[in-house]
Amino acid sequence: MILLLALAAGLIVGLVRAYWHGYTYHISGIRYTWLAIVAFLPQFVAFYLPASRVHQPNWLAAASQLLSLVPLLVFTWINRRLPGMGLLIFGQVLNLAVIVTNGGFMPISPQTAERLIPTSVVQSLHPGSRFGTGKDILLLPQDTRLEWLADRLLPPAWFPYQVAFSLGDVFIALGAFWLLASQGTSPLQPKKKQYHDPITTNAPNIPSSKNLRT
Amino acid sequence: MKNKLSKFFLLSQKINWQHIQLIFALVALAMLVLGIGAPEDGGGAGMRH
Repeated sequence: MILLLALAAGLIVGLVRAYWHGYTYHISGIRYTWLAIVAFLPQFVAFYLPASRVHQPNWLAAASQLLSLVPLLVFTWINRRLPGMGLLIFGQVLNLAVIVTNGGFMPISPQTAERLIPTSVVQSLHPGSRFGTGKDILLLPQDTRLEWLADRLLPPAWFPYQVAFSLGDVFIALGAFWLLASQGTSPLQPKKKQYHDPITTNAPNIPSSKNLRT
Repeated sequence: MKNKLSKFFLLSQKINWQHIQLIFALVALAMLVLGIGAPEDGGGAGMRH
């Protein structure tokens, strides 16, 4: 959700910038978009589709995640020259590292989990079990590899939407924001609102003053 | 039939392919960030146990 908000914020900033410059907003230079969509499908089935995610065994969910992350890394590497993609790749590598070293899931500590759901529910889960149907696994900090890259960051307690996120997620959000915010400032298709020279508009065959000088 | 076909071609000409391309790119980027990111808001916790 927070990552989609970063995308939405980047899109809004990009649209405003394009409007300000008088250009049509467009996203240029992204290659192999189909690869991102196809690569996401295993995760969609394992973590997002309500009908299938509940029945997904843990080993299959972990395998789906890893199966998906590799082609997504290929996609970002192909598009590495796009603005913001460097940050996004950095965040992706951080998340990939912590997920791979912890059995295919993103670790979350019971202390962090207690900020998201009632303590009684957290206590009913034993360490090492999956945290709901998402990508996270409940692990004690001392049992977590690369613990500093796990889902351990939280917004302030007074914030109405509580979510645990990793350092990698921060870089991914920044990269996604930058990618969309920086688009649309080149004239792919200028808007109709343009300056019309009264002389050349009425008489298009008259050479302009620039041409007369040369 | 001819009329329907001509209407269809007229409609297809009206589609702005740049918009389609933009939507496709946005969908791909949304799937990318959902795929590589792993934030947890506790929404599904307790469903399996």
